[in-house]
Amino acid sequence: MGLLAPHLPTDKGAEARLRSQLEDLVGSWIGPNPGSKLALAIWFRKAPRGDTQQVLALFAGFPMNDFGTPVRFPLRWRTGEEGPPFAEVNWTSVDHFSQLLTSDRQAVGRFFDGPEVLCFDRKILSEDILEEFNILTEPPHLMKGWYVEADRAKNKTIRDLLSFYDAVKPHIGLVKTFDSPDAENCRGLIHGEIGERWLPLSLNGLKNYTFYNELQQGVPGFFLFRGGALYRILKFEEKTASEYSNLVLKRLPDDRYPEVYLRSVHLSEKPAA
Amino acid sequence: MTDTLRSICDQCTYLKNPRLDFIPAELGRCREILLRDLQELVVAATANNEKSVVILAGIILEGILYAFVSAQTDYIAGRRGSFEFNPDHSLQNYLNIFNRWLNDLMPAVTLPDLIVSYRDLVHMNQELKRPPGTCASAAREMLRILDTFLEALSEFPIPT
Repeated sequence: MGLLAPHLPTDKGAEARLRSQLEDLVGSWIGPNPGSKLALAIWFRKAPRGDTQQVLALFAGFPMNDFGTPVRFPLRWRTGEEGPPFAEVNWTSVDHFSQLLTSDRQAVGRFFDGPEVLCFDRKILSEDILEEFNILTEPPHLMKGWYVEADRAKNKTIRDLLSFYDAVKPHIGLVKTFDSPDAENCRGLIHGEIGERWLPLSLNGLKNYTFYNELQQGVPGFFLFRGGALYRILKFEEKTASEYSNLVLKRLPDDRYPEVYLRSVHLSEKPAA
Repeated sequence: MTDTLRSICDQCTYLKNPRLDFIPAELGRCREILLRDLQELVVAATANNEKSVVILAGIILEGILYAFVSAQTDYIAGRRGSFEFNPDHSLQNYLNIFNRWLNDLMPAVTLPDLIVSYRDLVHMNQELKRPPGTCASAAREMLRILDTFLEALSEFPIPT
C-alpha cells in the first residue's frame, strides 16, 4: 500500500523510531481531557541507545506549584509490552514552569539539555516558554491581520474596522520585502497558518483565497493588520528571489515567491470602495 | 464582480468528476461515502447554498484525509520510524499528519489550519464570533481548496 519507505541508517532509524513512539505516547494525552490540556512535550537528554528516555510535559488548565512525581511509561504500550524502552515523564503546569524560568533557572536547567519538541499547542503556551525552547511558529516581523472586503470597509474608519476584527483570529500574515521611503507603498509575502506555523503561501496556495480571486476580477479589497495598518491590495506578482528564503520559515519550491503590492490607507480616511 | 458558488463549482473539474483511485480497495465504503457527499456538495454549490457548502466541504476534506493518511501508513512509518493509523482522529489531527508527513508528495496543495475553523462554523457560537460574510468567503475558499486537493490526488499513484 502506498509509496516505498525511504531507507534510514541504523542510528538515525532507531532515533526516528524512538521519536515516533514518544510522539505516539504524548499524542495519546492530547484530547478533551476535563481540567487539563497538554501544552508542550519535550524530549531532553536524548539517549537513543538507553533504556529510558526523558520527557518533560507541561499541562495547562490546573494550578500546580511543583513538579509531579515522574511517571514511567513503556513505549511499546500499544502492543501491551511492558519492557523497555521507557519514557520517564517529568510533568508540571505551564504557569509553574514559566515562573521557574525567571525565579529558579537552575531547577529547569536539565530540560534544556538537547531538547527536542515532540508536540506543542501554541494557544496555551506562554511566549517565554516558546522562546526558551526556540519554538519558531512565525518569521520575524510578521504582521497578522485580515482581509476586508470593500463593501465591509465602506464608510467605516479604521477604528470601526479594528473594533470588529480584533476579536477574530487573524487569517493572513505579511512579511514586508519593501517599504517606500514615504511609507505610502509596500510589498510583501502573504503567509497562512499551516500546522500551527505561519508559512509563506505559494501562488497556487493564494489562488484558493477570496482576496486573490476578487482582485483578479477587479473587486477592490484591503488588508487590515493588528495595530491599525490598513492597505489596499494593488496586485500580486510572482518572482524568483532566493534572498526571500531568509525572511520565511519555509522556503518555497524553486524560490518562487508571490509578492503582494500594497498601498497605505490613512487613518483618517474612510476607505470607500 | 465576485464569483458565485455556482460559477466556482462550474470551474471545479475535479469536484464534479472526482477520481478517487488513491483510495485502496479495502476502503470501498469510504469511497462510496465520499462520492455521495461530493454529489451533494455540487448540488449545494449549484444552488449557492453557502452554509451547506462549508459544512459538506469540511466533512469531505476530513474524509479524504482519513482515506489518504490511512493509505499512506507505510510511507509515514518509513519516514518517522513507526506509524499507526488512528481512525478516531479529528480533522485537525489528520490535517497535522498531512502537513507534516505527506505534503511533500504534493507541494501544489496548501491545506491551511483555517479549514478547521471554517468546518467549525457548524457551531452557532463559532459563526457568531466571526464577521458577517465569513461563511460566504469560507464556502468559496473551501470549494477551491477541495478541487485543488482532488486534482493533486487524481495524479497520485494507484495503490497496489
